[in-house]
Amino acid sequence: MSLAKFLIKRTLQGIFVVWGVVTITFGLRAIAPGDPVDLIVDPATSPEIRQQVREEMGLDQPLLIQYIEYLQGILVGDLGFSYQSRRDVTTMVIERVPATLELAIAATIVAIVIAIPLGVISATRRHEPSDYGATMFSLVGISTPNFWLGIMLILVLSVQFGLFPVSERPVGFVEAVTVLVTTGYFNDLITWFRHMTLPALTLGTYFTALITRLTRSGMVDELGKPYVTATEAKGLPSVLIRYKHVLRNTMIPIITVLGLQLGTLIGGAVITEWVFDWPGLGTRLINALYAGDWPVIQGVLIFIGIGFVVINIVVDSLYAYLNPRVVDE
Amino acid sequence: MISDRLKSSLKREFDQSLMAKLGLSIALVIILVATFAPILATHHPGQTGHFDEEGSSYPPIGFDYQTHAWEDGDDGRERIPHTVQPTSEHVLGTNNLGQDVYSRMLFGARTSLLVGLIGTGLAAAFGVPFGLVAGYFGGRTDDSMMRVADIMLAFPSLVLAIALIGVFGRSVQYIPDPIVMAGFAEGMPEYAVLPGTVTLVVALVNWVWFARVARGEALAIRNEEYVKAARSLGASNWTVLRKHVLPNSLTPIIVLATIQVAAIILLESSLSYLGFSGTTLSWGYEISQGQDYLRTAWWISTIPGVAIVLAVISINLLGDWLRDALDPNIEGEGGV
Repeated sequence: MSLAKFLIKRTLQGIFVVWGVVTITFGLRAIAPGDPVDLIVDPATSPEIRQQVREEMGLDQPLLIQYIEYLQGILVGDLGFSYQSRRDVTTMVIERVPATLELAIAATIVAIVIAIPLGVISATRRHEPSDYGATMFSLVGISTPNFWLGIMLILVLSVQFGLFPVSERPVGFVEAVTVLVTTGYFNDLITWFRHMTLPALTLGTYFTALITRLTRSGMVDELGKPYVTATEAKGLPSVLIRYKHVLRNTMIPIITVLGLQLGTLIGGAVITEWVFDWPGLGTRLINALYAGDWPVIQGVLIFIGIGFVVINIVVDSLYAYLNPRVVDE
Repeated sequence: MISDRLKSSLKREFDQSLMAKLGLSIALVIILVATFAPILATHHPGQTGHFDEEGSSYPPIGFDYQTHAWEDGDDGRERIPHTVQPTSEHVLGTNNLGQDVYSRMLFGARTSLLVGLIGTGLAAAFGVPFGLVAGYFGGRTDDSMMRVADIMLAFPSLVLAIALIGVFGRSVQYIPDPIVMAGFAEGMPEYAVLPGTVTLVVALVNWVWFARVARGEALAIRNEEYVKAARSLGASNWTVLRKHVLPNSLTPIIVLATIQVAAIILLESSLSYLGFSGTTLSWGYEISQGQDYLRTAWWISTIPGVAIVLAVISINLLGDWLRDALDPNIEGEGGV
């Protein structure tokens, strides 16, 4: 199978998964209890007005018609209107994406920057105190619920020492950088950084711990291989061997596992946002769930599903490109 | 099912690993605590109003804290500094409602363990047969079954779980508590609470991991000589699956199940933190209660988090031990 054929196959599978996600979320709304009309108008309004609202929202149609219309809407990027605020759901979802994306990227950066050196040190100094320290850290890190970690960071760093703000996101990264570039004014970027630190640490700790573990065990395996002995015998400096050759071979399984953990990253972002009152997709989703605002719930779920599928296809293609044997399997 | 060779391998790993011993000890303590919660508790977990004379929550033993009280003075009500002292009556203090934190931790352990164990059991009961059938038959059956699994994986588990709870609503089941029924614990709740929806939902969200592992095993095993031999002797697919494929794929499934108990306990605590659980006797719910009182009563959120971390660490350590003992091909990571 050629790479192009592999890509087409993965894309078709991806479209099928997105269709499945849309259908499941639609099905969830269909069986969810409660009458949406109650969210739109006061329950005490006259039956005539209620009926009128029902017709306007298309809720009087048979389910199959509603489903087909919903699918048609998605094809042109229309996710309907919120029951609660009557706002356009597509806008309500898109406007929350930057906050979540910033949080996820910042957490990933935190994780990679800390975890890879930690894993390498741990693997090259096996059974020394630094190895035990790193191993303990990663064990505790993967066992700690991130919402509790967030609250503990608030307790110590915000409440006790006043180093960081407790919550919210007064300015986005793009706006802060725009201000810096156009006016040379640094404060917005500093404000952004101060508000981002605790959420990014909260979300990033689990992944730091996970990548430390993976790097350590991968490195330990690789270091035992004959080519390492050969390069050592050749007299290459050990730093070069570790970081250039061994680490590169360790990265492939790490990237695979990280791809699989994408869902954990998004789920973790949802609850981290809730802890820090962060205006991202997660807080939007949870608030919509409390209110029973199903068009918004559907919108967020579908958006997450599409993002997940797209990123997976990208990761798979990269992987297939780096390791052509995958295509044949 | 467990052969002597496996037993000795388990024992050897256990003897060599300090971490396995630590994990098993913590896990046993938590199981005992959860089982005998009504006997070990000092107060009914739901009983409110345990405050000091000024209406402040008690801190844990060894801590006191500054707050304010109101007193009648010359100009009406006056705010005066007030130091709250701990009391031996409430070793871990009381929460914002004046409930005994120690007793609530004991009963919270029950919720975590019940959801963790029953949820994992349900997930395995559905996921393992699904994966074995997909892997064993392969081809089109496998393709279409695994597409269903792909759709499940496109939802992050926490996100799918809260969406499902949005549909099913919150429900709890009451299980009669034999210890209290038999009269060993006067004044304690007569029923243990199982958040039914949460248990079902965590299983619905996590079965797919069992399906994936079981499928991988079945794919490998179906080409083994002994399977071919059994089939040429006329054994039906059902017999082969039950007598050959299932027993030979159990090892990774057991390791996965252990890790899943920890994952489900974490998921349950997240759900109850967000208020989707239906019971207030849960570590996660207790953390959410304390979040508004971080400035004064730090222990309300802190203590249940420590309990979750201990429980999850102990299960992860047991998982590492099982993996190292059952699968000699994987190098240990715990390594102490």
